[in-house]
Amino acid sequence: MVIDHDVIVLGAGLAGMRAALEAARDGANVAIVTKVHPIRSHSSAAQGGINAAIGEGDSWESHAFDTIKGSDYLADQDAVEVMVREAPQDIIEFEHMGVIFYRNEEGRLGTRAFGGASQARTYFVGDITGQALLVTLYDQILKAGVKVYEEWFATKLYMDGGACCGVVALEMVTGELHLLRAKAVIVAAGGMGRLYEPSTNALICTGDGYSLAYRAGAPLMDMAMVQYHPTTLAGSGFLMTEAARGEGAYLLNSLGERFMKKYAPNKMELAARDVTSRAEATEIAEGRGIDGNVLLDLRHLGPEVILKKLPQIHEMALDYLSIDMIKEPVPVRPGMHYEMGGIKTDVEGATVIAGLYAAGEVACVSVHGGNRLGANSLLDTIVFGRRSGRAAAGYAKGTPPNRGGEDVLRAEQERLQQLLARSYTGETCAGLRLELATMMDEKVGLYRSDAGLHQALEALRGFRKRYENVAVGDKGRVFNQALTFVLELGYLLDCGETVIRDAIVRKESRGAHTHVDYPERNDADWLKHTLLTLHRDREEPEVSHVPVTITRWKPEVRTY
Amino acid sequence: MKVAFYPGCVSKGACPELYVSARLIAEPLGLELHELVSAPCTGAGVLSEQNRELADALNGLTLAMAEAEGADLMTICSTCQGVLSDHNFHLKNDEARREKANATIADQGYSYGGTATVKHLLWMLFEDIGIERVTASIKRKLTGLKIAPFYGCYILRPSEALGLRERPERKTYLNQLIALLGAEPVEYRGATKCCGFPMLTFNRDKALAMGGNHIIEAKEKGADLLVTPCPLCHLNLDGQQPDAARVLKQDIDVPIFHLPQLLGLAFGFEPDELRLNHHVVSTKGALEKVELKV
Amino acid sequence: MQFTIEVGRYNPEGVYADDAQPGLPFPPPWDKSPVRRYQTYTVDLPEHAVVLDALIAIREYLDPSLAVRCACRSAICGSCGMWINGHANLACKSKLAAFSQGGKTRVESPPSMPLIRDLVCDMKPFWDKHLAVRPWLENKQPTPPADREYRVPNASMEELIQEVSCISCGVCLMDCESFAVNQDFLGPQALAQAYRYAGDPRDDKTKERLGQYSGPGGIWDCTHCFECVQQCPKGVAPLDQILKLRKMAVDAGFTHNPGTRHADAFAESVKHSGRLNELTLMPKSTGLFNIVGQLKTLPSAINMARAGKLPPLIHKSIPGVERIRKIFQRVGGRFK
Repeated sequence: MVIDHDVIVLGAGLAGMRAALEAARDGANVAIVTKVHPIRSHSSAAQGGINAAIGEGDSWESHAFDTIKGSDYLADQDAVEVMVREAPQDIIEFEHMGVIFYRNEEGRLGTRAFGGASQARTYFVGDITGQALLVTLYDQILKAGVKVYEEWFATKLYMDGGACCGVVALEMVTGELHLLRAKAVIVAAGGMGRLYEPSTNALICTGDGYSLAYRAGAPLMDMAMVQYHPTTLAGSGFLMTEAARGEGAYLLNSLGERFMKKYAPNKMELAARDVTSRAEATEIAEGRGIDGNVLLDLRHLGPEVILKKLPQIHEMALDYLSIDMIKEPVPVRPGMHYEMGGIKTDVEGATVIAGLYAAGEVACVSVHGGNRLGANSLLDTIVFGRRSGRAAAGYAKGTPPNRGGEDVLRAEQERLQQLLARSYTGETCAGLRLELATMMDEKVGLYRSDAGLHQALEALRGFRKRYENVAVGDKGRVFNQALTFVLELGYLLDCGETVIRDAIVRKESRGAHTHVDYPERNDADWLKHTLLTLHRDREEPEVSHVPVTITRWKPEVRTY
Repeated sequence: MKVAFYPGCVSKGACPELYVSARLIAEPLGLELHELVSAPCTGAGVLSEQNRELADALNGLTLAMAEAEGADLMTICSTCQGVLSDHNFHLKNDEARREKANATIADQGYSYGGTATVKHLLWMLFEDIGIERVTASIKRKLTGLKIAPFYGCYILRPSEALGLRERPERKTYLNQLIALLGAEPVEYRGATKCCGFPMLTFNRDKALAMGGNHIIEAKEKGADLLVTPCPLCHLNLDGQQPDAARVLKQDIDVPIFHLPQLLGLAFGFEPDELRLNHHVVSTKGALEKVELKV
Repeated sequence: MQFTIEVGRYNPEGVYADDAQPGLPFPPPWDKSPVRRYQTYTVDLPEHAVVLDALIAIREYLDPSLAVRCACRSAICGSCGMWINGHANLACKSKLAAFSQGGKTRVESPPSMPLIRDLVCDMKPFWDKHLAVRPWLENKQPTPPADREYRVPNASMEELIQEVSCISCGVCLMDCESFAVNQDFLGPQALAQAYRYAGDPRDDKTKERLGQYSGPGGIWDCTHCFECVQQCPKGVAPLDQILKLRKMAVDAGFTHNPGTRHADAFAESVKHSGRLNELTLMPKSTGLFNIVGQLKTLPSAINMARAGKLPPLIHKSIPGVERIRKIFQRVGGRFK
């Protein structure tokens, strides 16, 4: 089937739905293509809150400075300025849509403290802020009547004459492959957490958007910047929100010490995430951990605060570790959480490819640079989701409808048929993914080294070869997840390659990229972004650099 | 054993056979029934949903009366059990609610101190009377009968107020009892489902289909009869069964016994004494299986 | 620890053969028989493992043809609602050890929903119902300026967090007793969301909503069985929200329905005699002038009368009924 729209949004998390809503408001014929129902999107797992400088005594400049300092000065300051200046109106808009934000005694929006912030400027709904935003936005999508192609899995971007003209997608329920033509495509397909094991991310976070755009020729920027969250649950690796520390929880080592006093004497537990995660890793490495974990202690907050403001993590610790955090501290450790890098866009979400836009975690504007502050990711999704939706709708207005593409559809059908026809050689998709993800955590994790990174690249080459032998363990058409898992593993390999290559290139330590061979930040040589671009018929990406945009905040030594 | 007996409106109204049989089995079980004759209706959940304060006061009064009797309150109705358990749970744990209810009933000479225990006869059999006593009272094994338990919603859900978290075995008492009496319990999904009665006046045909489907399922699994600890379920499953059969366009014809009737049979009482001849669906076929007549 | 799982399998195109075990070549031989059946797997997992862990282990290493929806693994995304030992639950929140009965756990798609494949059901009925309650804020006018939020007490927002915690897993609808016999019933999730908006002080259409929800398929078609309260993995307690809507609807004057007449007749009877009078309850609930409705109940009434199952014609009051009347006078509200 060939279907035409003005704008196609790939992904139905906060960024995708916000983009679609804005494009619809702008009069575009917009549709969302998503591999899971919108409500299942991983935005719902964001717990702690969303940042904006609204309150008296706060200012956008302060929010901008905290974000830039948090980014270890790798964020583009003009982009950060856009985000933080527009933050208040976007949050108020969500309040008008119905989000039940926490209020203070005057009935006004109330805040909580968060890491790396000089003010309490995080707005929240208990510890289900992402979910509260997501369901409200989904209901707005219903109200606006936006078409959603739900459980449609994107396999390729349709490119014509150097422009992006649509998406090829597999309808899971029928097994049919369709061409969705559009004047503009917004990639908002979320993160790539499954590249790492363990990770806080859902099983659906497989880097689809990065790979699709990369394969279409869009540059990926600063992919080495992979955030490890300081508090992920021992064992399962589930997220224990930073809001716990925002509400006053302590991090303790095996001696019962609040060890953050050594690493961030001023902000203590509320230092930026990269700093806190490294501190924990140091404690554990020096023998002051407990079975590879440190302790998150909430007991002094009391049952009232825990049950009212942090009910979800209370439930999770109880469900998955049988620990009641009202009575006992919870073992946590740093765990892979977020990709700061992504498809390079400008502040309108536009990529270098005509008709191709990106927003949310998959995009790199760049507002997070080397390290994202907690509660800035939800903000990123709704500000740049909105802006990309508007920009794409505007672009579509001046663009004639696309024709053709049937050959691309046929070629994709052919490719999937060949994939299905492979016979089993002993290589399993899950086994290979686990090896890849474990290797990434070991060699391209919190600490990196030249030797390790080169080993990683070598390993990745090996995985790519073995990937060619992975058979699809199901030959049917209806809801063939074995097929989509193999395709997802392909996406993850592209993500892995770009993360490793970027990490190899960056010969300094900045933000989340801690290079043991180059332990210092080097502003003289490395105050710049790295772009990886895959040219047609080439196996290896071209590496290039663009300078970081510095407006008024000159790089300083970063302490908390 | 002395109990504050709360028979419930239906056993004194549309299901007199329940009241009669409950009174009969008290003696062999050693129950000394002190009937709370002045206790009001629980409101069956209908009043609780429309006016919680009113329902708190009415049930607070009943609980205070039981407290004054100095004995556990015994119900013979899953609905009464559910509503009383729910109000008791909240009146025990929420002091503000209890004070409010007490303020309303204070000048009647009652005040609820939050110490009453509310137990269905079914629970008492296992937890207070003891299965030894029950076994000792059996004069007539019900061997050969296949009996489908039908618990009724409010003796199972919500589990917290009913104490099922502390005593999950309460979910299986009816099955255990059937086996104890020598009959074979029928396993079927409908056992813990809704009979449809609460919806009967709002959406009659759907309510009838709901109950009817469960009986048919039990019948298909070989049940000779259903036994229920809830007279409201009985009203729907027995009283409305011919109508349910009409709605479902299917013959049903499965008798429904009240819990005390089944106990009474096993304890040697005659079917007529237990008013098993006063059912809408004839109990004849089932009784013949244990060589009894109505 | 070894766990045995029986998985309800179905593939409209055919089913894979049984006994897929590690080491055997897979995909296992294709068997063209589109039937539903159970396939048994044994998996080795830690003691605290949940049902979803087992399903993922099966899918990844034993039988890649097993279709199951899942994403977050931690009861946030709502993907993995399914039947576990005959009740709807989230697979990621159900401990295997607690669910193993006789050494086995049975997992299948809920029979109440249309089946697509294996553990993947068609959630369309669920989403249609969600949409039908118009689940979005109709802004109370005037909407505050673009830089100002609505000023409302925090308590009014906290009051709604229980409903906002809903993850749309569909578990409540899958086990809903009313839905089982009445496909038009809006169901627990949709009505909980209905309350989420009707109960929002920033909503402008509360009255219209209550009118809609009082209609056919709405709040009065719930049979009050507490299954949804029992099964909801997030403590949304949908029935509680339905009961709140009933009260709101009656208070707003939507009283021309059997539900309200039932409550009124019930209260009248208890106030008058301290007990329920079944003889007048049914006719009054149906509506005394609803001749068709009255006639429908007639055959049952005759059956019951014939069996001697009608309540005494003279309805006696309980001793000390004045107490009850006083209570009604004090706190009876509408029922005074």
